Amino acid sequence: MSALPDDAALFERFPGVGLDHDNKGLYRGFLERELRLNRCGACGHWQHPSLPMCPRCWSTDVVATPVSGLGEIYLLTVMHQGPPTPGVDYHSGYAVGSVELVEQRGLRYTSAIRSDGIRPAIGMPVELEWIERSGAPFPVFAARP
Amino acid sequence: MMATVRNPARDAVAFVGVGTTPYLRDAGGKSATALACDAARTAIEDAGVDLADIDGICGSSVPTVSVQAALGLPAVTWWSNSSLPFSLLVIEAMNAVFSGACTTVLVYHSSLRGAGGSKTAAADPFRVHNASDAHGHNAAMTAESPSGTYGYCAWAQRYLDTYGVGRDALGLVAINGRANAARNPHALFREPLSMEQYLGARMIREPLCVLDMDPPVDAGDAFVLTTAERARDLGHRPVLLHAATSGRTDRPFADQLEDYTISGKEIVAWRLWEKSDVALSDVDVFFPYDGFSIMALSWVEAVGYCQPGEAGPFLAKHWSAGENRVLIDGRVPINTHGGSLSEGATQGAGHFREAVTQLRGDAGERQVPGAATALVTPGGFLWNATGFVLRGG
Repeated sequence: MSALPDDAALFERFPGVGLDHDNKGLYRGFLERELRLNRCGACGHWQHPSLPMCPRCWSTDVVATPVSGLGEIYLLTVMHQGPPTPGVDYHSGYAVGSVELVEQRGLRYTSAIRSDGIRPAIGMPVELEWIERSGAPFPVFAARP
Repeated sequence: MMATVRNPARDAVAFVGVGTTPYLRDAGGKSATALACDAARTAIEDAGVDLADIDGICGSSVPTVSVQAALGLPAVTWWSNSSLPFSLLVIEAMNAVFSGACTTVLVYHSSLRGAGGSKTAAADPFRVHNASDAHGHNAAMTAESPSGTYGYCAWAQRYLDTYGVGRDALGLVAINGRANAARNPHALFREPLSMEQYLGARMIREPLCVLDMDPPVDAGDAFVLTTAERARDLGHRPVLLHAATSGRTDRPFADQLEDYTISGKEIVAWRLWEKSDVALSDVDVFFPYDGFSIMALSWVEAVGYCQPGEAGPFLAKHWSAGENRVLIDGRVPINTHGGSLSEGATQGAGHFREAVTQLRGDAGERQVPGAATALVTPGGFLWNATGFVLRGG
């Protein structure tokens, strides 16, 4: 296992992503196949997208911290067209959802929902999976009805 | 502690000029700057003011330096480029006039259909490289990006699930728009629409189909605003900004919004009615934004016509079978120009143009008899909700 890339190399691994000091931990996590969301070191509050201050206690001790990847579908759409995306075929419908994670009410992460022929639905339990995209791991969710 | 509500700008600033361009799928080589200038020229001519009188300029993505230079506005003392929807520019311009930063302001918006819209658009190098960012698209977007179109489609699905509503509720918004657009020569789509056609239309992002999403156009719109006092000396019946507000919660990301009923639209509705001397029952014509059909349903509910989830049955109950459109209490039409779903996607500018036209009494065969008060709610429920009460002066 090679060492994690430094900041300059991180930009090379994720071209086009608006990397900054607040979300670099999330993307470093991708490379180790861990979904790391920002969590307050002082009060434990989770937040997403990645911002530098805890909205509950105003601590700036905010650390990218792994989540379990377990949750349920809160928002859902099946796309029949959309932005060109490597490995994505819209012709048969491509499900994307916002998953409410078990770590905290209202903490959601949005990505593809894979469901192996079953129609995904709001409320369905999911778990995190990793696929490869453009040479880097990418987090998606698999439905576990 | 609750913020104090004040409205010192009540009825102090007026729309005095309206201008637009044709709404086209392809304006034939015009740039976004050209469309802004075309609209601005007609708005200034409509207002009947001298160029030297215009001392403020406010636009969307086309830089104000370009439009000021092209029009030859000799001396401006206030300018701003602002984000969309168009209503945010109106609020900025109103504040600038009210504060005295300027006295007469030109406000404009133009958009060019993006390269992603069709094969012909994608073959146009100027659209590929120069399209204005009216729709929030950018090159880094992927299928999974929780921004732009995603939020409205995904919340629409949750809305239908939560309230046990069918897609026909969304369809009523689209059908109402088409019926109204039949009387608007400016509209892109004017053919009547049936529920069967709506339900059979091509799905884009479930549950929203192609008829739930406003069609991109090459178009420009512009307005001239000035003080109510000065407006009385100009040629048209002034249209006064009676109350205006925007609203946003502390979870203004599409996928993190706390709940459909805890959003910017509730903040807008509460603040707008606190600011306004008139009530919902005084409204003669209603302009809920319909960039996505779900937004119009959400505004019908938020402003107080009915409870969350009830907009579909409400529209059905207030449907005029004879006119195939909504007439609330047999009287109040919705989006008399057809909305952006039928007229074309200009991020709220079209809703303002029609509201001003109605309150002037200049809407011709679309005219709402005796229209004195318009309710305009541009933007949506995620991060850009705004609301206005406009009154004929």
